Amino acid sequence: MPQTLSTREANLFRTVIRHYEEKQYKRGLKAAEQILKKNPKHGDTMSMKALIMNSQGKTEEAFALAKEALTIDMKSHICWHVYGILYRQHKNFDEAIKAYKFALKLEPESQQIQRDLAVLQVQIRDYQGYVQSRFAMLKAKPHLRQNWTALAIAYQLEGSLEQAENILTTYEKSMTNVPLKTDQEHSEALLYKNTIIAERGDIQRALEHLESDCKNCLDRLAVMEMRARYLGQLNRKEEAAKAWRALLDRNPEHPEYYKGLIEALEIDEKDEAALKAIYDEYAAKYPRSDAAKRLPLNFLTGDSFKAAAKSYLTNMLDRGVPSVFANLKHLYSDEAKKAAVLALAEEYLKEHKGSEQANGDSSKGVGAALYFLAQHYNYHLSRDLAKAMEYVEQAIELDPKNVDFHMTKARIFKHQGDTAKASEAMDHARRLDTKDRYINSKAAKYQLRNNENEKALETMGLFTRAETVGGPLADLTDMQCMWFLTEDGEAWQRRGNTGLALKRFTTIHNIFDIWQEDQFDFHSFSLRKGQIRAYVDMIRWEDSIREHPFYFRAALDAVKLYLDMFEKQQAAANGTNGTGEATNGDDAAEKKKAAKKARKEAQKAEREAAEKAAKQDPNKATAKKDEEPKKKDDDPNGLKLAATTDPLGDAMKFLDNILQFSPKNIEGQIAGFDVYIRRKKYLLALRCLNAAQALNPEHPRVKEQYAELQKAVESLDDAVSVKVKEVLKAKFSS
Amino acid sequence: MDIRVLRPSDIPLIQHANIENLPENYFLKYYLYHALSWPQLSYVAVDVSRPAKSAYDYPKIVGYVLAKMEEEPTDGVQHGHITSLSVMRTHRRLGIAEKLMRQSQQAMVETFGAHYVSLHVRVSNAAAIHLYRDTLGFKTEKTEAKYYADGEDAYCMKLDLSPIREAIQKEQLEENGEKKPEEKGSEGVDEGEAVGDVGRDPEQDKKEDKTVKVKVGRGLGVGELVERDESKH
Repeated sequence: MPQTLSTREANLFRTVIRHYEEKQYKRGLKAAEQILKKNPKHGDTMSMKALIMNSQGKTEEAFALAKEALTIDMKSHICWHVYGILYRQHKNFDEAIKAYKFALKLEPESQQIQRDLAVLQVQIRDYQGYVQSRFAMLKAKPHLRQNWTALAIAYQLEGSLEQAENILTTYEKSMTNVPLKTDQEHSEALLYKNTIIAERGDIQRALEHLESDCKNCLDRLAVMEMRARYLGQLNRKEEAAKAWRALLDRNPEHPEYYKGLIEALEIDEKDEAALKAIYDEYAAKYPRSDAAKRLPLNFLTGDSFKAAAKSYLTNMLDRGVPSVFANLKHLYSDEAKKAAVLALAEEYLKEHKGSEQANGDSSKGVGAALYFLAQHYNYHLSRDLAKAMEYVEQAIELDPKNVDFHMTKARIFKHQGDTAKASEAMDHARRLDTKDRYINSKAAKYQLRNNENEKALETMGLFTRAETVGGPLADLTDMQCMWFLTEDGEAWQRRGNTGLALKRFTTIHNIFDIWQEDQFDFHSFSLRKGQIRAYVDMIRWEDSIREHPFYFRAALDAVKLYLDMFEKQQAAANGTNGTGEATNGDDAAEKKKAAKKARKEAQKAEREAAEKAAKQDPNKATAKKDEEPKKKDDDPNGLKLAATTDPLGDAMKFLDNILQFSPKNIEGQIAGFDVYIRRKKYLLALRCLNAAQALNPEHPRVKEQYAELQKAVESLDDAVSVKVKEVLKAKFSS
Repeated sequence: MDIRVLRPSDIPLIQHANIENLPENYFLKYYLYHALSWPQLSYVAVDVSRPAKSAYDYPKIVGYVLAKMEEEPTDGVQHGHITSLSVMRTHRRLGIAEKLMRQSQQAMVETFGAHYVSLHVRVSNAAAIHLYRDTLGFKTEKTEAKYYADGEDAYCMKLDLSPIREAIQKEQLEENGEKKPEEKGSEGVDEGEAVGDVGRDPEQDKKEDKTVKVKVGRGLGVGELVERDESKH
C-alpha cells in the first residue's frame, strides 16, 4: 500500500519538485532523502528522486528506482508520469507514450500529462492520437483560442482539411468582440485558415476569404502573394497582372513575380521582344535591380542575346562585381551562349588593355576581365586549365594582393589534381585577409582535401571560440559545422583512419538527431506565438529532414566505409591471398601497411588527447555546479566504432535513412545493393537493383550488380525459401 | 539571384553560410526560433543559376539576414533587431545585403509595428559599417566595450523606421479613404519566452551575468504538481 505523508513531509515533497524544476538537483535529492528516511516506500518521492538522478546523468539507477516506485505504487499517476518522462528523455517515445497513457487513465483531469502526451504524439507523427489529445484539451479549456487552433492543426496534419477549417470557423463564430487590428494571433489564424481553404483546392473561396477576412492581416507580403497566385490560378488575368506588379514594386529581385506577371499578360513564351520589354521596364524603374537585367539572358537568343549579354557583362566588369561569372555560368549549357560570353569577355579585355593604370581599383575593368576569363577556363563546361592559369597569373600580376585571384588560382590547382599546391595557394590567399572567415574556411577545406587534417583544424581554430572546452573541434561540433565534419571524415578515410572517419560521419548522423529533436519545444511554443503557417512548414520540412545532401553525403561515406571494412575482414578470415582477383600480393601488403599506419595514428591521437585532457583545469569545466552534466565522449577517436565485428550491421542505421529519404539517388541504391547482397538479403538487394535500374539502366555499376545478383541466384542454397527463389528467378528468366 | 523570405527548409544552408563567413555562430534551433517567431522578418538570397545536383537539391544560400523583434524592449518601444547578416564573398558588390535589409525593415513595420531597428557591428568591420551608415542610414548609438567573444568592441547602431511607417500610413489613407489609424504603443506584443537553449547570441551571453530565469513547468514535465503561475515569469 502506498504511504501517505504527514503535512510537513507533504510540504517537503513540494520543495523536491521545486528544486527539480529549478535544477537544484543536490538540494532536491537531500529533501527527497529526508522524506524517504521516514517513508522508505513512498512511491511518488522515489519517482521524483529517480527523475533527479536521471538529470544528474545516472540513467540506469534512475530507471531502476522509477520501476521500483511503480511496483510499490501502481496507482500513482506521478509514478507513471515520471516513468514516461524518463523514457521520453532517452528518446524511447513509444514507451513514453504508453506510460503517459497509464498516468492519464489514473488522472484523466491532468492538463500536464495530457499536454506531455500530445507533444509526444505530434513529435512521432501519431496524428490520430494527437487529434484525440487536442480534442480532450479543447474540451477542458475551450476558452483558449490556442486550443482551437491546435486541434485544427492536428486535423490538417492528419489530412482532415474540412474538419480543420470547421474548427477554426466554429471558434471565429464564438468570438464576442472584434480583435484588435494588431492582434498577431488573430491575424495569423485567419491566414492559416486561408491556406487550408486553398489546400482543399477551392481557390475561388480562398480568394474571397482572403479579400474579405484577411484584408487587414499583418503579414502584408503573404496576403499580396497569395492573392496574386489565386488570381493567376483563377485566370483573372488583368487583376493578377496588377497584383504581380505590386509585388515587383516591393521586391524586383524575385523571379517568381516576373513569371507570374508574364503569365498574366499572356505573353507568348517565344516572343523574346515582348518578354524582354517587361524586364526592361523594371530595369529602367529599378536601376539597381540585378534580376531584371540578368533574367532575360536565359531566354534571349542570337544577336539579342549578344547585345543583352554585352551590356550586362560590361556593366559588371566595369563595376568589378566578383560574382559575375557565378551569375552567368548556368548559360553555358547552351553552346552558342557559352561561345558568345567568351567572345564578349575577350573583346572587353582587348578594348580595355592598357587602361589598367588609369583605374586605381584592380578588381574593376581589366582585372575583372582577366578574373572572369580565368574562371571561364576553370569551369567544367569550358575547361582549359593552362589558359585559366595564364589569365589568373596575369590578374595576380596586376594585383598581387587580391584574395579572389589567389582563391581562383587554388581552384585551378585543385582541378589539375594537385591538392598540395591547391592547399598551399588557398592558404596564401587566406594570409592576404586574415580577418575574413570565408577565405579561412576555404583554406581549411583545401587542407582537408590534401589530407592535412591537423593543419586544417588549426586553421579553423583561428575563428572558433577560444573558451570552448575541447578546443576547435568541440566548438565546430557544437556549432554543427557540417561541411568541416564531412570533409574531415573523408580525409581521415583517405588516410586509412577508419575510427576517426566513422566518428565524424556518426557525429553528423547524431546532429540530425538533434535537429529532429529541436522541433520538440516548438509544438507548444508556436501555439503561444501564433505563427501557425511557419510551424506547419517546419513540421513538413522536418518530416524529410534526412533527405538533405548534408546527411546523404556523410551517410553514403559511412556505408562505403563499412563495406570496405567488411571486405577486409572477409579477406583476413580467408587468408590474405585466398579470396581472389582483386587482392594481389602488392595490394595486400599496401593495405596492411596503411592499416598499420592508421592504427599508429589513432593510437598517437588518443595518447595526445589523453594528455591534453589531463592538463585541463578540472575547475574550469565544472564552473557551473549542479548543472546537467555534459556527457563525456567515451570514444573520441572512434576506436570502438572501428572495432566492430559486424560492419554491415552497423551500416544499416545509415543505409535505412538513405533508402527511406533519398530513394531517387542512384548512389544510395547502389550502396544498398552492395550491403544487402553481402548480408544475403537477396530480396532487398533486388529491390535496390530495381530502383537503380528505374533511375538509370545504363549505369555501369547497375549492370555489374545485375550480373552479380544473377550469379548469386544461380547458386542459392537451401537456406533461402522456395518463394524467395521464385521471385528472384523471375527477375532473370525473361 | 532570388531574394525572398526565409523558409524552414533553408535553415541548414543558412547555418552553413553563417559558419563559413562569420565568427558568431548558432545552433540550428536558434535559427528555427527566429523562423517560427518572426517568419516575416528573415530573408535569403538564393543562387538560382546553379543547376540541381540531385533529386534532393536545396537552393544554395549566398546571403541571408536573420532578424527578430526585441522581446522585452528595455525602452518599452517596439523595435526590430538584426541578429546576423552575411553575404558570401563570391557574391559581393551586388547590393544583396542592402536588399535583404530593406525587405526585412519593411516587414518589421508592417507586421510588428516596429519603430526602429538596431544591430551590433564590429568596430573594425568597415564594409559593414559603410553599408549600415552610408547606404541604409543607421546612426551609431554607442560603443559596447568587449561585446564580441574575442574581445572586440561593437558599435550599437539604430535606424529610425518612421519613413516606412509614414509611407504605409499614407498608402492606407489613400486606399481606404479612412482616417489615420490610431497610434498604439503596445502593438504586436510578444509574450512567449525563448525556447530551450537556443544557441549563442552574443547578447544572450552578455545577459548571463544577470540572473538567468530557468525554464520551469511545462518544459520539464511535472509543472502541474507545483502551484506556480507561469505567467508571472
